[in-house]
Amino acid sequence: MQEVKLTVSYDDYENDIRMENLIKELAAKPEAGSLESLIIGDWGQAYENSPDEFMNALIEGAPSFPSLKKLFIGDMGFEECEVSWIIQTDLTPLLKAFPKLKSFAVKGSSGLSLEPLQHANLEELVIICGGLPQEVLASITNAQLPELRKLELYLGVDDYGFDGSLEDVLPLLEQGRFPKLVYLGLKDSDIQDEIAKAVAQAPIVDQLEVLDLSQGTLSDEGAEALLASDKIKKLKHLDLSYHYMTDEMLIRWKRSGVSVDVSDQQQSDEDDWRYPSLTE
Amino acid sequence: MSGITTNKTDHGLQSQINERHKERPFWLIGNPDNRRTKGLQQARLQCGLKPAEVLPYADLLKIWRQGGSLAEVVNQSLQRKVTAEAAPLIRIDAPGEQWDVERELLSLGAKDSDSHAEPCSREWFAAEEALKLQQDWGRIYAPAQWFNGWKCCLERIKREVTDFWPSARFLNDPEDIATMFDKRKCQQHLSAHGIDVPPALQSSGRIMSYSDLRAAMQDAGMYRVFVKLACGSAASGVVAYQINPRTGAEIAVTTVGMAVVEGRPIFYNEGRMQRYTRREEIEILLDWLCAEGAQVERWMAKAAYGSRVFDIRQLVAGGHAGHAIVRLSQTPITNLHLRNERMLPEEAGVDDYRLGLVHTAAQRAMDAFSNSWSAGIDVMLSGGDQPRAYVLDVNPFGDLLYHVQHNGLGTYEWEMDMLRKEPYEHA
Repeated sequence: MQEVKLTVSYDDYENDIRMENLIKELAAKPEAGSLESLIIGDWGQAYENSPDEFMNALIEGAPSFPSLKKLFIGDMGFEECEVSWIIQTDLTPLLKAFPKLKSFAVKGSSGLSLEPLQHANLEELVIICGGLPQEVLASITNAQLPELRKLELYLGVDDYGFDGSLEDVLPLLEQGRFPKLVYLGLKDSDIQDEIAKAVAQAPIVDQLEVLDLSQGTLSDEGAEALLASDKIKKLKHLDLSYHYMTDEMLIRWKRSGVSVDVSDQQQSDEDDWRYPSLTE
Repeated sequence: MSGITTNKTDHGLQSQINERHKERPFWLIGNPDNRRTKGLQQARLQCGLKPAEVLPYADLLKIWRQGGSLAEVVNQSLQRKVTAEAAPLIRIDAPGEQWDVERELLSLGAKDSDSHAEPCSREWFAAEEALKLQQDWGRIYAPAQWFNGWKCCLERIKREVTDFWPSARFLNDPEDIATMFDKRKCQQHLSAHGIDVPPALQSSGRIMSYSDLRAAMQDAGMYRVFVKLACGSAASGVVAYQINPRTGAEIAVTTVGMAVVEGRPIFYNEGRMQRYTRREEIEILLDWLCAEGAQVERWMAKAAYGSRVFDIRQLVAGGHAGHAIVRLSQTPITNLHLRNERMLPEEAGVDDYRLGLVHTAAQRAMDAFSNSWSAGIDVMLSGGDQPRAYVLDVNPFGDLLYHVQHNGLGTYEWEMDMLRKEPYEHA
């Protein structure tokens, strides 16, 4: 058994099926011992209920999952719950309960806390949300994750919880914070141009293989800064998919020799308003 | 459908029956020269059938208004007098996409209107006024009145056909078409036949406004609903509406656009999905929808393919499940004309088991309309390991599907080929 996804559908929830029980059932199975990836999907009316309802089951069940490398809390689509409506909670105890975890992903930022964020073995951290609160961003910049290789953050918009600014993002671009980091995703932002300009010359790019600035409101303004940077040219891959760049700029990327994804071009609306991808 | 099986019938009788059917004229009540009519004529040609004799809605509605009857349109269009012995097979096609027909239907709807019966702020045009309306592209004009006109039209077609040509047959019965078109009636009808449909929002009184709707949702604890214009075709007037019970936030996703003209709100179809989150806007939208007549049902999570959700348009004709199109969407609304992506079931990873659920649901939905021969049934699958199929919509004109084949045939070819082989007798 490699990967299991547990989901409580609307009907399941109405029929008194609870995520807590699904986790306990899974933990009791002999295959649990070899489970490498556990995905917690919709836990039932996630716009009302937080993971607190099943958190203890997961923590108490941790010894039954000795091989677990990946954990995803909240893998659900908009048909199950709007991403900004997903109620999260303080997930710090989960990370503590799974010290051998390599990958941790979370969807939804409402009520999310990861303070303090410390883990000796975590290599991958992904937070998908409509807006990342400044507090969570601070926990990440102050985190102790010596093994972190991939950091992927959806920054989002203020309507959905992003109450920070570029100032809160800049510390992530300092070198030495995550010495092994090779993939940095600062995406789905409505200040994507500002971020692009800041990251273009940031020392951290020297250690990266992949820079992911996709899903946001990137326009020619941010793209100019990226194109002008020698650091960016050395990347193995640059992801700029879902963007607001012009056709001319796309031609310049094509000629740049950079391995870059510029698919999914967007048109700004009549009022020249640009939306990131995950703003529901 | 004919119950004759070749192996039990002697050859002489079979050929005699074929002979009789071969010459049954095919009348098409529709809009000439549109893609439906052209597609159907093309298919008849390819199947070696005589062309359909087209009776234009525009002519029919005008002649009725002038005191005439369907018989005059038939005699005019076919340039000969058609006697009561004529046993045509009649296909009633979609009336849409032609402005003069839309105006006539609005006018017809006004004639029979008793707007005093229901005290609400719905939009109405007087019969004469409706005929003079200038088209404002995409605008949804008085949908309840339009539907009233459309129902009158169907009833009258049925009545006059029965009077003039008692041996005529309808491919889809006009009464069935009216029921399929009325999303409220259709879902009740399907439900009464034991077919799985999304549960309707229960309410002690009729839901006539935004505040009625909010109250009913609160009472039922149903925070995610689809509000659908009862008589809307395609995605016209469909709203995916949800309330966050914890924060009170609300979101309405829809193709309905709104504008204010001369101090009054008007509503139109947008090609792009709109997302309303302000209460004032949502209230205007839902007040209108509820007043015009709306089906309100639980918004059920559809099965996903990657980050998109999907449902399936399943064509059923002559008792057979034919062409199927998977309609994928990044939003809760999946309809084909919204630039949503379409795929074949196998391309979207819909396995045989799931496709079987869809076929069964669609065929059972069609069986619930025993006097009708074909429809495009929209079916959703719920997610998870044990999916269930739910019927969302029954489209009496749901066979206009491009670039998809079943047994090597396009939709109209498949249908006409079937009619040629298994002449349709009962309706």
